[in-house]
Amino acid sequence: MSNTIIRFENVTKVFDDHIVLDNVSFEIERGKFYTLLGPSGCGKTTILRLIAGFVEPTQGNIYIDENCVNKIPANLRPVNTVFQDYALFPHLNVFENVAFGLRIKKVSAHEVKERVANALKFVNLEGFENREITEMSGGQRQRVAIARAIVNQPQLVLLDEPLSALDLKLRTEMQYELRELQQRLGITFVFVTHDQEEALAMSDEIFVLNKGTIQQSGTPTDIYDEPINRFVADFIGESNIVEGTMLADNLVSFANRTFDCVDMGFNQNEPVEVIIRPEDLEMTSAETGKIPVKVDSQLFRGVHYEICCYDDFKNEWLVHSTKKVEVGSTIGLDFDPEAIHIMRLGETEAEFDKRLEAYED
Amino acid sequence: MEKQKKWFANSYLLLVFAILYAPIIFLAIYSFNSGGSMVGFEEFTFEWYQELFTDTRLFIILLNTLVVALLSATIATIVGIAGALAIHTIENTKYKSMLLTLNNILIVSPDVIIGASFLILFTVMGISLGFFSVLLSHIAFSIPIVVIMILPKLKEMSPSLIDAAQDLGASRWQVISRVILPYITSGIFAGFFTALTFSLDDFAVTFFVTGNGFNTLAVEVYSLARQGISLKINALSTIIFMITLILVLGYYFLSTRKKPVMIGGDE
Repeated sequence: MSNTIIRFENVTKVFDDHIVLDNVSFEIERGKFYTLLGPSGCGKTTILRLIAGFVEPTQGNIYIDENCVNKIPANLRPVNTVFQDYALFPHLNVFENVAFGLRIKKVSAHEVKERVANALKFVNLEGFENREITEMSGGQRQRVAIARAIVNQPQLVLLDEPLSALDLKLRTEMQYELRELQQRLGITFVFVTHDQEEALAMSDEIFVLNKGTIQQSGTPTDIYDEPINRFVADFIGESNIVEGTMLADNLVSFANRTFDCVDMGFNQNEPVEVIIRPEDLEMTSAETGKIPVKVDSQLFRGVHYEICCYDDFKNEWLVHSTKKVEVGSTIGLDFDPEAIHIMRLGETEAEFDKRLEAYED
Repeated sequence: MEKQKKWFANSYLLLVFAILYAPIIFLAIYSFNSGGSMVGFEEFTFEWYQELFTDTRLFIILLNTLVVALLSATIATIVGIAGALAIHTIENTKYKSMLLTLNNILIVSPDVIIGASFLILFTVMGISLGFFSVLLSHIAFSIPIVVIMILPKLKEMSPSLIDAAQDLGASRWQVISRVILPYITSGIFAGFFTALTFSLDDFAVTFFVTGNGFNTLAVEVYSLARQGISLKINALSTIIFMITLILVLGYYFLSTRKKPVMIGGDE
């Protein structure tokens, strides 16, 4: 059995002359936790609905287990979905909601009872069988929806922003639970979200989407540390992005100064974008710092202060620090060469990967 | 001041209802009058009711009415469910609102017009007037009512419920029978009972399309009243009124017993 479970081959989806997905190709491997991450309207939910079979691709092919499923309706696909509003059936109790798929498949009553009990145990809802859906809290409904999906032993579980209706504390709790559940079951999860923290915390692989195309795919650390372009860098966490010039390998110029860095493979004097994450910036005195900046504002965020500074060239610098500074004072910013990440303008993912490989060897 | 206002409001309401119900109560009281006329109440009697129950002709008419009402309401409900589902699934909003408007026009247009047009239609098509023509016309004017009672329930249903059912393996028919129909049950019952009462008390349409000795209660009461005053009509009217009252109360209790169900939200 091949390791690839889902394969998109040049899939395009058009709704009313509006291109929602533009020539998207990717593969999803068995047993991993995938996240489709992007702002609303980026096409992430459309990908999910294409996999589930609720919509057909306008162009291109979708393969499940190497079988083209373009024309296979949703009810015949080995895939189950957890919906954003849970979509639990209000006229059925918890047991019957979970048993719905098994009843359709005409599984014997004895087996239904056993499997539903198991699924409910999996999501910590033992003893809730006879409750009505209206008697369940948001978090419990969420679990029922998950149990209803996994009881069918699908090869793939799709989750459409299932945590967005929960409060922050419950959401964090469910993130742990989902991740743990996926690892215990060993089946593939495809999770859709617009919340970058959720994506970073739970995933094996993240696909970052924007405007109907996949901008970048990779592990959470890859995407966080080596964003391919301004969109990804901006979307995944806070970042300082300034214009710069690549003078030579390991030497970049921005903010009218020259810095050592660890990036290679650029043309000489190539214009680039330079990224430094706010948590990589250290505040020192104006004399010792690498870039002198003026503090414009300061916000208390709980874990850290978010300090907004401007240098002499009107570049904005966000700093995350546990130390407080005085608004209006001039300070220096210090950082390691490793903290600098260079992005080539308009580089595609394939070119990006190639360049990374070239200088890693 | 506040209390006085409330007292005034309540007594006004009472007065309005008293005036509205006075004729019916008056009629019901005289159904027990042994005097034989509506002029003076003489003595309490069940005479008219006895006469009514021994009248087999009237009993047959009552049966006719019930059969037409139950059959037409049942068939109209089935057709109406299909119609509501079809209108609900239309994505083109222009076409959808056009169909809805056509549906609503049938509800508000006068019974006389509908009756007359059915009469013309049946004569042109050569359908003989009688049980069948009455049944057909009752089905026809009940369908729009059923549609309008079911549509709001469909609109209220989250589309992800249908996706979820499909996702769990349900075929198109299973989606309808296991998810949609249970969800809209209250709308279906409301539609059925409204169609039933509309059919039971319809006079105008039936008056036009009936014939060959086939009669329903409404038409029979009308012709009895034309023949001259008999307190049998009072007795009959009182029974019909009581049945209607029981039906309405029954529906009220059924529909308020179930709490409205919300899905997707947090409490």
